[in-house]
Amino acid sequence: MNGLLHGAVYGAVIASALLSVIAVGIWFERKFAGRMQSRLGPTMTGPVGLLQPVADVIKLLQKEDIVPRDADRHLFDLAPVLAVLCSLGTAAVIPFSPEVIASDLDVGVVYVLGIGGLMVIPTFMAGWASNNKFSLLGGMRAIAQSVSYGVPLVLAVLVPVTLSGTLSISGIVAWQSAHHWTAVWPVIPGLPAFVLFFMAMLAESNRIPFDIPEAESELVAGITTEYTGAKFTLFYMGEYVHTLVGSALGAALFFGGWDGPFRPGLHWMVAKTLLLFAVVYWVRWSLLRFRSDQLMDICWKWLTPIGVGLVLLAAAWVTFGGAG
Amino acid sequence: MGYFTDTARALATTMRNVFRTPVTVEFPKVIRPRAVRYRASFALPDDENGEVACIGCLACERICPSRVIKMRTTGKRDSPVTGKKRNYVDEFVLDLSACIQCELCIQVCNSDAITMVREPEVPSFEREDLVLDLTKLRANAHEKTASWGRGTILQEMQEAPKAAKPAPKKVAPAAVPAAEVAPAEAAPLEKEPA
Amino acid sequence: MELASATRGKIDPHLSIYAYEAEADLMLLHFGPQHPSTHGVFRMDLHLDGETVVKATPYIGYLHRAVEKLCEKLTYVQLTPIVDKNDYVAPMSNEQALNMAFEKLLGIEVPRRARWLRTLFAELQRVASHLIWLAAQTIDLGGALGGGSTLFLHCLRERELIMDLFEEVSGARFHYNTHTIGGNRHDLPAGWGERAKAAITQIEERIHEHEAMSLHNRIFIDRMKGVGILDGALALELGITGPVLRGSGVDHDLRRDAPYHAYDELEVNVAVETAGDCLARAKVRFREMRESLRIARCAIEGMPEGPICSYKPIRQPTGVKVTAGQAYAALESPRGELGTFVIGGGDTPTCPYRLKIRSPSLHSLSAIPYIMPGATVSDAVAILGSLDPIMGEVDR
Repeated sequence: MNGLLHGAVYGAVIASALLSVIAVGIWFERKFAGRMQSRLGPTMTGPVGLLQPVADVIKLLQKEDIVPRDADRHLFDLAPVLAVLCSLGTAAVIPFSPEVIASDLDVGVVYVLGIGGLMVIPTFMAGWASNNKFSLLGGMRAIAQSVSYGVPLVLAVLVPVTLSGTLSISGIVAWQSAHHWTAVWPVIPGLPAFVLFFMAMLAESNRIPFDIPEAESELVAGITTEYTGAKFTLFYMGEYVHTLVGSALGAALFFGGWDGPFRPGLHWMVAKTLLLFAVVYWVRWSLLRFRSDQLMDICWKWLTPIGVGLVLLAAAWVTFGGAG
Repeated sequence: MGYFTDTARALATTMRNVFRTPVTVEFPKVIRPRAVRYRASFALPDDENGEVACIGCLACERICPSRVIKMRTTGKRDSPVTGKKRNYVDEFVLDLSACIQCELCIQVCNSDAITMVREPEVPSFEREDLVLDLTKLRANAHEKTASWGRGTILQEMQEAPKAAKPAPKKVAPAAVPAAEVAPAEAAPLEKEPA
Repeated sequence: MELASATRGKIDPHLSIYAYEAEADLMLLHFGPQHPSTHGVFRMDLHLDGETVVKATPYIGYLHRAVEKLCEKLTYVQLTPIVDKNDYVAPMSNEQALNMAFEKLLGIEVPRRARWLRTLFAELQRVASHLIWLAAQTIDLGGALGGGSTLFLHCLRERELIMDLFEEVSGARFHYNTHTIGGNRHDLPAGWGERAKAAITQIEERIHEHEAMSLHNRIFIDRMKGVGILDGALALELGITGPVLRGSGVDHDLRRDAPYHAYDELEVNVAVETAGDCLARAKVRFREMRESLRIARCAIEGMPEGPICSYKPIRQPTGVKVTAGQAYAALESPRGELGTFVIGGGDTPTCPYRLKIRSPSLHSLSAIPYIMPGATVSDAVAILGSLDPIMGEVDR
C-alpha cells in the first residue's frame, strides 16, 4: 500500500511538473525558432511573450469540436487521450532525483520501451478513424515508422543496459555515477549509441527529420488533420510530452541523470533534460524531412546493423576489459 | 555519413542566425522608415491660397483602371480668398478598398492636386471608413507626409527632352535633375544595416 | 491522340485507370485546391497505388479572373497595373512583356537608359522570384513547422532587400507600375546605385548559407535527385521554357537567343543541366540567381545617362490609339518565356482588340501527367515545387 500511495503521489507530481514544463517549452520553442529565423518570436503576450502558452491553450480550447461525418466516433475520441496517457506513462520509471521516482521498477527499461511502443496504436487510431485519405496515409506511414524505429531504439538502449548490467533505470544511473557519471564513456560504443538513441527517439516522437506521419506540407496535418479544439490540444501536448520524456530518458540513460561533478540532485536532471529538449528543437527547425522509403532505408539498412554491432561491442567491453 | 556533416552544417547555419539581430521589428511600436516615394494612401492638398487645389478636371477619374474615384463639380465660381473665378470640386470620393495603388491618378494630374501619402490608413472595423471623402482627403494632406510623386514631377521625369534643359522650372524649390529626390520631404530613407 | 515523342515509353497520360492492373484498389486522392503545397489554388487528382502515383490529372482555373477580357475594356495606358497581377511573384516581367508588345505595335524605340533600367529591374526581379521558389520548395520539403520554414524566412529576408530597392524607385514594394509605353516612369533616385550594390553583395554572401541548408544538404539532394525526370524532347513539345527546360538539357534562353532590352550589350551565361530531375532544375535556378546578381551589378555600373521614356507621358486614358496591327513580344521571365500578343483596332481604337498572354507556368504544369506517375506522394510535392508554377499567370 505504501508503494501504491508513493507511486500515485509522485506520479501525479511528475505528471503535473511535465505538463508545466511543456508550457515553458512552448514559449522557448517559439522564441528559439524565431531567433533562428531572424525574427523576434512572441513579444506582445506578456513580457517577452511569456504568456504565449496561455494564449495558445486558450485559443485551442475554445475552438469548436468538429467530428467528421462517417468517422469512427469512439476511436476518434479515444486516440488523443491514449496518446497523452502513453506519453505520460513512460515518465513513471524515470529517476528525476534519488528520491523522486514514481515507481522504481527492476525492469524499468522494458517498461519504458513497452509503453512507448504502444504509441503506435493511438496514432493509427487517429489516422483510421478520421475518415480522411490524408489522415489514412499519415497513419499508415506512422505505423511503418514507429514499429521500425522501435528496433534501433531497443538496440541503442541495450548498450547502457549491457554496460551497467541492470534493466532498472535508477540502477543504470547508479552505475554511471561510479563511472565518470556518463555512459557516453566508453566513447565506443557509448557515443554512437547515444546518437542512435537520439535518432530513434526523434523518429518515435514524429519529429523532423522523421516527421513523415504529420508531414504538414504533403498531408495537410497528417493524422491530426481532422482534430480541432481540445482533442487537438491533447495531441499537441502529447507530442511535447513524448519529446520531453524521451529527452529525460536520454539524459538518464546516457548522461548520468541526477548525478554530476558536484552536488548531485534534481537540478542536474532538469538541466540535462532541457538541454536535450533544446537540441531536439534545434534539429527540428534546421532540417528538412526524409521521404518515407528513405526513412525505412536508414532504419533497416543502417541503424539496425549498427545497433547490433554496438551491442556486441558493449558486451565485449564488459567481458574483456573496461570497468567491470 | 554525409548526413552528419550536412546536418552539422545546417545546424551551424541556424545557430549563427540566432546571434544575428532579428530583422523584424515590433510593429506598431516601431515603424520602419519607408522610402520617400512610398505610396500608401491619398491626399488632396491645398494650393498656395489655402483652398483645395483640385479643379475637378476629371482626369484622375477617367484614368483610374478600377474606377474608384468619383467626383462632382458645378462649374466656375468666385474664390473667397483671391476673388477670381476658378473651378472647384464639390464632392470627391475615393474608394480605398478597391484601389490598386497604381499611381496613375497622380501621374495625370496637371495641377498636382492629388498626391499619395506615405502613411497607410488605419485599419478599421467598418468598410465605410475606407471610403475617403473630400474632408478626409484634405485632412490627410495636413496629417500625413506626402510622397515624392506628383503629376508634374512624374511627367517631367518621363518627358523625352526636346532641347537641353539645365533644370526644370516649376517644381519645388532647389529642384534638381529628374534622377534626384525632391527635397521638402520627410527624412530621406536610411538604409538600416542588415 | 498520342504525342509522337520520347515519353519515357510507358507513360500515356490518357491511360484509363481501369486498364491499370493494381495489386489492390487504386485510391483517388484530391490534392485539392486547399492544400498547403499546391502553390496557389490548383487541384491534382492523384490515383494512388499505395503511395505511388499511377495517374495524375491537373485541374486549373480556380484563379481565373478574366484578365484578358478586362484588357479589352481598358485602354492601352491603363493596362500595366492590371497585368502586374498575373505572375504576382515577378511583376516587373509582366509589365515589361506588355509594354514591349505595345512598343512593337506602335513602332516605338525605347531609349538606351530605359533599356538598361529594364534589364536591371528584370534581373533583380529574377533573383527575388528565385528566392521565392527556394522558399516555397523547402516549405514543401521540410514543413511549415520545421527546417523548411527557417529557410523560407531567410530567403524572404534577402528578398526584402530587393523589395526595398524597388520601393525606393517606384514607391511600391510589389506591383510597381513603373513601366510605361516607351520606357519607364520612374528614374533612379540619388545614391540608389550604391545601396543596390551593397544589397547585391549581401545577397551573394547569404546565398552561400541558403545552399548550405538546401543544395548541399544530403536530405535535400535525396529528396530531389532522380525525382520527376523530364525529357528534353517532351519538354520542347509541350512548350516548356525557362529553368525547367534548361534543367532537361536544352540550351535555350531568350536573353541570349533573341536579345531584348540591353541583353545585346551584356553577356549572359546560361545555366544548363542535363539530368532533367528536380535537383537539376534547382541547380539551374541557383546558378541563375548568381548570374542575375552579376548582370545586375554590371547594369548598375554601366548605366548610361539619358531620358527614360521616348513616348509622351500618360496624361489621359485615350492617349494611345491604334487602328490596326498586331504584335507579339516575349521575354525570359523567371519561369520561362512570358509573351504578350496584342491585336489593335476594332471598335475602340484606344483599347486592344485582343490581348493574349502566353504564360510559361501553364506549359510547365502540362508536364504533370507525364512526370508524376511513378513518384510517391512526397515526390509529387517536390515535383510541383520544382516546376515553380504561379497560378496567377496559369489561370489569368
